[in-house]
Amino acid sequence: MGTDRCAYLSRLRLVDPIPKLWFSLTALLVCVFAESVAVGLFTLAVLSGLNVALGGQRVRDVVHFLKVPLAFLVVGCLTILIRPIGEAEALWALRLFGRFRWGITAYYLRLALLVLCKALGAISAMYFLSMNTPITDLTMALERLHVPKLLVELMELIYRFIFLLSGEAGRIRVAQESRLGYQNFRQSIRSLGELASAVFLRSLHRGNRVYAALESRGYTGSLTTLPGQYAPGAWFYPMAAGVAACQILIFFAERSVLP
Amino acid sequence: MSCAIEVRGLTYTYSDGTKALDAISFQAEAGKVTGILGANGAGKSTLFLNMNGVLTPQSGQVLLDGQTVGYSRRELPELRRRVGVVFQDPDDQLFSADVYRDISFGAVNLGLPEEEVRRRVEDAMERTGVTRLKDKPTHALSYGQKKRVAIAGVLVMEPSVMILDEPTAGLDPQGVSDIMRLLCQLRDALGITIILATHDMDIIPLYCDQVYLLSGGKMVASGTPEDVFSQPELLRQNHLRLPRIAHLMEILRDRDGVEVSRSAATISAARREILRLAREAGEQAE
Repeated sequence: MGTDRCAYLSRLRLVDPIPKLWFSLTALLVCVFAESVAVGLFTLAVLSGLNVALGGQRVRDVVHFLKVPLAFLVVGCLTILIRPIGEAEALWALRLFGRFRWGITAYYLRLALLVLCKALGAISAMYFLSMNTPITDLTMALERLHVPKLLVELMELIYRFIFLLSGEAGRIRVAQESRLGYQNFRQSIRSLGELASAVFLRSLHRGNRVYAALESRGYTGSLTTLPGQYAPGAWFYPMAAGVAACQILIFFAERSVLP
Repeated sequence: MSCAIEVRGLTYTYSDGTKALDAISFQAEAGKVTGILGANGAGKSTLFLNMNGVLTPQSGQVLLDGQTVGYSRRELPELRRRVGVVFQDPDDQLFSADVYRDISFGAVNLGLPEEEVRRRVEDAMERTGVTRLKDKPTHALSYGQKKRVAIAGVLVMEPSVMILDEPTAGLDPQGVSDIMRLLCQLRDALGITIILATHDMDIIPLYCDQVYLLSGGKMVASGTPEDVFSQPELLRQNHLRLPRIAHLMEILRDRDGVEVSRSAATISAARREILRLAREAGEQAE
């Protein structure tokens, strides 16, 4: 399905999630705070490259996932790029209804490019994390980093049961369709409402059964478990420092070249 | 006979007034497989939850190795450790998306040191044959695989009694014999007493040493599988049936007047009967 499937196949699957988390976060934060097109592109290239080189992900998958948010990004950047510009000097402009002057100025072109590259860099950093770390390892890491336990447990339970609920909803939907439940708009609304209430009731019942099963295994209020043994990942820290250093260098280099 | 677990006069009423269990008594012999038969809604699941301390009976006792079990806060963890329950739907039991972590849950709750938890998890995975599934997410497993993981999650607590609610429901024929073989291996290797609720009549004569028939919250029959199968009317009243082979024997006896044993409920027993009949017919012809 999503990045999670890649994560289970990743070569870094068994590496301690905390260094992976810090590595991605540093790259992401430096990329976001450096107001620079070059740093964005550098982050995009390096993190996607490492995703392939270290994680063993297929280039096709990495590109595919990068394309997912691209549509939103492009639309978002277009609204920055093309805007009412008054009588300012423009690279390109046109008059709407002979009164409003819309167009692209050099300033907004740079801004749009900056936003696009920064976002792509940040996204590639997040993908490096999520394509090489299964969610359960990530929540485990959050717990070790002292994120409130209640929050972490909720995330884990939601992640586990979302698959069951969506499967159940899918089966109900098929059953409804097989009895012509979605013939027209009115009926569709009605069937959808019934589906929602059925899924809600079922999850309520399942909740009770899950609780009984947890109790029978000695549940006393906390879902403490032991993860499998991780491979050491301390080598991610020097790599994080290296990547951050390069990012900062490129940032200053760009500053010195551009006015 | 030494009893691993005994239930005496256990009564449980739900808060809405439904009397789910009415003075139930039964015994499960140590190191044996005890079957509990009962139609849907007969009270099997309620009984199991009482035996494991998730529910507290209004009256009656549960005895483990001859000692009365307490339901106080202090005694509950020990009861839950010694009596493990494998629920019917493994999706109800597996709460973690990570197989290894889910299996470790029970052992962690016992407050064991990390190495001991790991040893037990590895051991349970090995015994149930799920070692190579440990790097997969729970939702990617098949139903039978989830069932094995659920069993492993109970094994880590090293229970002396393992209760399984409908262990064969939802499995294909191959899966049924695999799971039953696994249970027999656990019984033989670890000496675990196994109690299983089922309405899969055909596995009863193959695997169970003792059978109880639960109906409307009451125990209405008990004995060896042969004893219970000699009362086909009682089974039918309770929405159950004879095993196919036993049914065949019943028809041969009652309709065709052939002198076959009523207790032949498995293929090997039926084979013996048929060979005996053939031999007798041969002797008569001579």
